Amino acid sequence: MSNTISGKNLLRPTGLQCKNLQEYLKSRPPEVLNKLYHNPPICLAVFRELPVIAKHYVMRLLFVEQPVPQAVIASWCSKLHFEEHQKVVLILNELNVWKEASIPGGLPGWILNTTFKKNLKIVLLGGGKPWTMSNQLEIDSKPRDVAFLDSYALERWECVLHYMVGSQQQEGISADAVRILLHAGLMKRDEADGSPVITQAGFQFLLLETALQVWYFILQYLDTIEARGLDLVECLTFLFQLNFSTLGKDYSTEGMSEGLLTFLQHLREFGLVYQRKRKAGRFYPTRLALNIATGQNKPLSRDPEKEGYIVVETNYRVYAYTNSNLQVALLGLFCEMLYRFPNLVVSILTRDSVRQALKSGITAAQIVGYLQQHAHSKMIEAGPPILPPTIVDQIKLWENERNRFIFSEGVLYSQFLSQTDFEVLRDHALSTGVLIWQSERKRTMVVTKAGHDDVKKFWKRYSKGSS
Amino acid sequence: MGPPKRFKKDNDRGKWKKRKEDPEEYNDDDTLDDNETEGIPDAAKNDVEKQDDTALEDEFGAKDYRAQMVLKPDCVLRPLWVAPNGHIFLESFSPVYKHAHDFLIAISEPVCRPEHIHEYKLTAYSLYAAVSVGLQTHDIIEYLKRLSKTTVPDGIIEFIKLCTLSYGKVKLVLKHNKYFVESPYPEVLQKLLKDPVIQECRLKNTVEDEIITNIQNKTKAPQFGAKAVTNVPTGVTKVTETNDQVPAEAAAVPEDITTFYDKMDKEDEDEEEEQELKTVSFEVNQEKIEIIQKRCIELEYPLLAEYDFRNDTVNPDINIDLKPSAVLRPYQEKSLRKMFGNGRARSGVIVLPCGAGKSLVGVTACCTVRKRALVLCNSGVSVEQWKQQFKMWSTADDSMICRFTSEAKDKPMGCGILITTYSMITHTQKRSWEAEQTMRWLQEQEWGIMVLDVFHDLTSIMCLEVHTIPAKMFRRVLTIVQSHCKLGLTATLLREDDKIADLNFLIGPKLYEANWLELQKRGFIARVQCAEVWCPMTPEFYREYLGCKMSKKLLLYVMNPNKFRCCQYLIRYHERRGDKTIVFSDNVFALKHYAIKMNKPYIYGPTSQSERIQILQNFKFNTKVNTIFVSKVADTSFDLPEANVLIQISSHGGSRRQEAQRLGRILRAKKGAIAEEYNAFFYTLVSQDTMEMNYSRKRQRFLVNQGYAYKVITKLAGMEEVRIAYCHLSEDSEPDLMYTSREEQGHLLQQVLSASDMDADEERIPGEGPRPFVTYFTSLGLSFQIIRKAGNMTSMSGADDAVYYEYKKAPSSSTANKHPLFKKFRA
Repeated sequence: MSNTISGKNLLRPTGLQCKNLQEYLKSRPPEVLNKLYHNPPICLAVFRELPVIAKHYVMRLLFVEQPVPQAVIASWCSKLHFEEHQKVVLILNELNVWKEASIPGGLPGWILNTTFKKNLKIVLLGGGKPWTMSNQLEIDSKPRDVAFLDSYALERWECVLHYMVGSQQQEGISADAVRILLHAGLMKRDEADGSPVITQAGFQFLLLETALQVWYFILQYLDTIEARGLDLVECLTFLFQLNFSTLGKDYSTEGMSEGLLTFLQHLREFGLVYQRKRKAGRFYPTRLALNIATGQNKPLSRDPEKEGYIVVETNYRVYAYTNSNLQVALLGLFCEMLYRFPNLVVSILTRDSVRQALKSGITAAQIVGYLQQHAHSKMIEAGPPILPPTIVDQIKLWENERNRFIFSEGVLYSQFLSQTDFEVLRDHALSTGVLIWQSERKRTMVVTKAGHDDVKKFWKRYSKGSS
Repeated sequence: MGPPKRFKKDNDRGKWKKRKEDPEEYNDDDTLDDNETEGIPDAAKNDVEKQDDTALEDEFGAKDYRAQMVLKPDCVLRPLWVAPNGHIFLESFSPVYKHAHDFLIAISEPVCRPEHIHEYKLTAYSLYAAVSVGLQTHDIIEYLKRLSKTTVPDGIIEFIKLCTLSYGKVKLVLKHNKYFVESPYPEVLQKLLKDPVIQECRLKNTVEDEIITNIQNKTKAPQFGAKAVTNVPTGVTKVTETNDQVPAEAAAVPEDITTFYDKMDKEDEDEEEEQELKTVSFEVNQEKIEIIQKRCIELEYPLLAEYDFRNDTVNPDINIDLKPSAVLRPYQEKSLRKMFGNGRARSGVIVLPCGAGKSLVGVTACCTVRKRALVLCNSGVSVEQWKQQFKMWSTADDSMICRFTSEAKDKPMGCGILITTYSMITHTQKRSWEAEQTMRWLQEQEWGIMVLDVFHDLTSIMCLEVHTIPAKMFRRVLTIVQSHCKLGLTATLLREDDKIADLNFLIGPKLYEANWLELQKRGFIARVQCAEVWCPMTPEFYREYLGCKMSKKLLLYVMNPNKFRCCQYLIRYHERRGDKTIVFSDNVFALKHYAIKMNKPYIYGPTSQSERIQILQNFKFNTKVNTIFVSKVADTSFDLPEANVLIQISSHGGSRRQEAQRLGRILRAKKGAIAEEYNAFFYTLVSQDTMEMNYSRKRQRFLVNQGYAYKVITKLAGMEEVRIAYCHLSEDSEPDLMYTSREEQGHLLQQVLSASDMDADEERIPGEGPRPFVTYFTSLGLSFQIIRKAGNMTSMSGADDAVYYEYKKAPSSSTANKHPLFKKFRA
């Protein structure tokens, strides 16, 4: 009698979830975290990313060797901001930075994680073992400057993106990288011939800022790291060391384990580090690596060398000063392309082109964000607002247009034998608040999925009783 | 591993193209007969658009021109790209923008001119215009090459040559009341003379087969700019001249551009100052002018008509001058310089937005020619307004101006300026004796200049009133009236069927076209906030809408109670601000219903001339009449300089031109134009989820291309309480807004449904007599006062009242409330 109506496939896909460092670490088991805290650079990275109040608590507790009553710590923060205090407490707990310990008097207290404490002290005060990459190096005969590294990093990274949009402009990427893309769900195997094609998540990924892209990609990479026989802790440590390295300076690969060297080669492929030769014995971190843990979350300062190239007009025209297939492909996600000149692309935003993008899971906010992020300097001069408000509004309206239906999953009851049967069941559903819709004339009703079991039971009891 | 497959298959693309080619389903404009194209040179039928059929599409669906052009190393300094299909893209922020813009306006049609990048298009007609204002084929190509960031495609160069080489080489000049075919190219003239038809037309009293060669020693035939000095205080022209100069930006500009531009500019302006100009000419038999003109077009040498009015001794001068108070704006002067560029009067079209002072251009042109002038406009009201303009700007008085309309017939004899309507001239039925006399006189005259006001609308007006083919009718005007030069004034060179070029060849080339956004920035026209207000259909109306036939649909979405309430709310809001509001409705049933219900005066077809003027006068001066309702009769003809708010409740399908014309009603620059962000408001009320939404999108295209931005308002903030109350079916919400309760709405629905098909139609033939106007005033309260509210910029602009809101109906068991698609689920 009942069948399920499902509107699931019509529901909007959820956005791409990009965790930040804290969220990533929170999701690791405490043992892994403890292992990580053996490394001073990670402690520093975690400390830097803490909220201000949490930093304050940690600093005050750093040299206290015994548990401190929770009430005392709570008193460090004004009562007015109790909520924030609680949030901070939660974060510190989750990150395993401190743990609960009872004070001799029986009061609940907190004590900093000893490993964390020890290694944070090392970072702040000095001492401990030298970092793996800090070995002395002879002066590079052909040093690389920052500009070179930036362009190298961008070029390597764009290779990955190019591959995703399927443009033939750039050389391919390694099978390893493809595996990561597939693992991350950014691409999937085509059903017909097994070649990778971009997914909805992939489209959203493309519209992210570069720093976010790199971070997301690396997170996905780290997921697969153990399968490759590499040590997660070692790699993470190295990643955070890179995070604190200096742009334009070269570092030695001496003393790195075999696994770490493999990891380095992967980073090299994505443009996070530069190496002249595989066995050069030295490497340069690039801006991508520097930004990796600290850059996301905070708004990246606009790269002065990276000129905006998009002009959006009030008549829905989008002009892009570019000859890059990647950039054109990205615009092509939500614009209809009209003409291509040697250094300019003419395209137009239409209802259909934007809906096409919305259908593939890109949100209006992402489109607007992308246009804004890459706006031409003339647009920025004319602003604010940088983009014509009517265009922004219209894109949002086009999105809203798709959301006028409200889907509620439910179970349909129909073909009641008598009106009384129908009414009894309906009234029951109504009284329990699970009725979504009913039609007396057609003796049809829909209840929520959650209420289905209850209504079914009720119906069985009822029909047994009446028969 | 190889690269992956492209993610998006091109299956959608075909669909796209198909739709674009679809003709507008709701086409208001007449289509031309096949024979209409006669009298238009063959080259004009060339369409450069077709030339890029061969262009490859790249993997993203764009036409890929990269193979066809090479980027120049100094491309950053050059402002434009030329596509092989004739489209030109211009950076408005380029240092050479001004040069490039002037040049492009001369040689091409503007497609869209928003803030940063403008698009132009080369057409046969635009090139014809370029040649006729004195540009040479070689110069056009050369300059285009220099301005372009890339190499110019060969196809374009071919196209320019094709369209310009034979154009503008021969002129038809009227000198000392004799017609001459004149050309600086003897070989062209020789070629023409070999044609038997042209030989026929040649006046035989000169020595056979000898062409008059005259080396003109023109000692400064005064130009328009120079002439203006006598009329206008000297300072004015000087100032504008210097304004036109670009200050020392030249450093950043490649030298070849500036030098070439200067050279061309000079040629254009000072053409006649060359001391010796060798021309050859032959005289033409006056009776055979028509034939020779036609024949020359067939031979691809269209005759440019020029009028050497200074040397015309046969037609008497009329004593008319500009008043010293008449000061021309820079763009008006520029347009006139194009017309009188070489000391003669060229026929042609000047395109200025409504409210930018077209009539002053017309009056100035008449004052410059100083011969008998004929002004044609399209309604009796505008005849009156033209007369006022003449009296305001020139020294002409009542005795010199003769009106010739069905209601006012002044004595024509001895007058210098005759103002009449198109329909008066082309009238085919029997006329009164008096009118007959005037017509005969009119036909006998040789007019110095004929000014055709908003002639584009002529097409629709005539269809409306005379039911005939416009171009034919138009030709009739040109044959009935003998005039030496023709000046067309219009706001848009726009026809829904894009056959405008054909009509234009009949008048002459486009001499000048102004940039709307630029005029707005400089405060010459009002800054308008355009808004599209979405009014959700009420459930009952929407149910009927879905189930009824086409004509009724229109009535239902116009009479949507929510729309009515929005309209009422907006009117009240603007009346409180002390604004003057015009409400437009194409549908007469709605017009009357709205106006009567809200107790406002209205004008539509059957409203008599005197009553119209009375209403307009009251609107202008009476502080109690701040809102009037008008039908489409007011689209073009009335000048309502006071109005600054326009509300559109029903419009004619997807007509872009009507939209532009209506916007024009409120474009006239307002006082304090600089102070506020916006000083005029243009609302279009559309019923959500109806065909109206599509029409609205189509209508906006032209203005959007001129750089206007439409704000979509999904909810008016002030109406919030009312609407919530309505949702809960409470009946005592705001008593003021009408159609709040369901009963009232039901009643309205009954009225709409019982309306006849005639009512559902747009305005056509008078149905019933107009309601006396006086009653409106007696019914207006005496205590009514205007309050001008002080407020911040956003509230003045109405911006704080525009809020996005998604309107979700409260779930209800009523089936009428559900979207039709739910039926599927229910069944």
